[in-house]
Amino acid sequence: MRLVDYLHQNARLYPDKTAAICGGEKISYKELSKKVLERSSSYKSGQVVPFKSSQSIDFLITYFAIHQAGGVAAPLEGDIPENRFGEISEILSASIVPDGTADILYTTGTTGKSKGVMISHKTIIADAENLIEGQGFSHDLLFIISGPLNHIGSLSKIFPVTMQGATLYILEGMKDLDKFFQALDYPAAKAATFFVPATIRMLLMFSGDRLAKYADKIDFIESGAAPLAHSDMLKLCEVLPKTRLYNTYASTETGIISTYNFNDGQCIPGCLGKPMSHSRIIITPEGKISCTGDTLMSGYVNDPDLTASVLKDNTIYTSDIGELDERGRLNLKGRETDVINVGGFKVSPSEVEDAAMSFPGLKDCICIGVPHPITGMALKLIVELENSRRLDKSSLAKYLKGKLELYKVPLLYEQSSAIKRTFNGKLDRKFYNSQKI
Amino acid sequence: MKERIREILEEALPLVDLDSDFLFRELDSLGVATILMKLSEEYSIKLDAKDATPKNLKSLDSLEAMVKSKLEK
Repeated sequence: MRLVDYLHQNARLYPDKTAAICGGEKISYKELSKKVLERSSSYKSGQVVPFKSSQSIDFLITYFAIHQAGGVAAPLEGDIPENRFGEISEILSASIVPDGTADILYTTGTTGKSKGVMISHKTIIADAENLIEGQGFSHDLLFIISGPLNHIGSLSKIFPVTMQGATLYILEGMKDLDKFFQALDYPAAKAATFFVPATIRMLLMFSGDRLAKYADKIDFIESGAAPLAHSDMLKLCEVLPKTRLYNTYASTETGIISTYNFNDGQCIPGCLGKPMSHSRIIITPEGKISCTGDTLMSGYVNDPDLTASVLKDNTIYTSDIGELDERGRLNLKGRETDVINVGGFKVSPSEVEDAAMSFPGLKDCICIGVPHPITGMALKLIVELENSRRLDKSSLAKYLKGKLELYKVPLLYEQSSAIKRTFNGKLDRKFYNSQKI
Repeated sequence: MKERIREILEEALPLVDLDSDFLFRELDSLGVATILMKLSEEYSIKLDAKDATPKNLKSLDSLEAMVKSKLEK
């Protein structure tokens, strides 16, 4: 059975149950199932359908309708620049994808540059079952999604919610914290959500007291995509003493692998728990994390070489460094890659540099990660300009916004008289990262 | 004070059009948090999520008014 088949099954079993809520709009399982069937006539079997994602019920209808028709859903950033949307659509229209492919998700992920990860229907079901078993998604749960629905962190929560016939509450980001608390007030036996560490930091910083009032209602909170500071983990345990608080090891390529409830009295930093039932973790002799099981991607679209570099013998070899403790729990020790994690969004610095190099008057540049009080890391672009020009930060930032997804646009800028490169002409990332500028 | 607020926010949020007729619409959650954090630091006032209303974050003028009312308390 595919996920969309579970949706129709739930429409028969619980026709009037609310499937999703968003911005004052509500839809029952019966209505959602009907709209999915109606819209599915717009798509063809085998068709790869790129579309701009939005935080809406319409996203769910489109996503499921594509699956219903036997097509492949490729949800892209809602704020993706038009030319990039065109480029990706063109590549996808000429792509051959394996049978059983459900989604193509764009990510920076394990190896750096942006690429399309192919996810099968089987993977979606395995992810759903892992989450139901590992975190306790239940039929009476209200799950609040605030992150972008085209990212695996949020998208993957649609899987267990749909399978269990639970209710989704979709929010457009977390800038209006009041709306998050309104979502928690929605009549439901229990609520749960997924946050990137930056959002947890923000909530604890500005709304810790208010969050504590929901201690009985919040069943669990999952965090992932970037490491959560130990001080934030401890504080969250204090604010929500009865809530299960999970740190999860997952990525678009590997799927949902393992999870650890850090509200266990021990609150071990870096611990990501035991692999879930569809997954297995092996640590390579070099100390890197590799994963096997039904949640793995089937490959990168149109890139067999890149696929072969990380996926061999049904195993994904990540660049994360980790250990398994005596109880078989995964402990994350670091990442061997240039990728910068900005509040859970992974950015390849070379993609930002490539986009910046065409800015008029720019001679050379390097993108680095610098500590940031909310997101943990922020992007900083150090630039060298031609003919002693002065840097106009705002123009450069707006120029980059026209070429990149918003989360890839650096927050900080600095002008330098020369960008340091190594003897063979490569950007000297080690030098800049050691400067802690 | 308004010009100082502009200076601080221009540095911290280079993409945001501070002269927009509805500043709140221009912001994402990081932008809202950054404004609360930067203004708390600069003026030694306590700001929390309840202050982050679309009304308070409507423009540089409304931000200035919010800071002034906190300073008076």
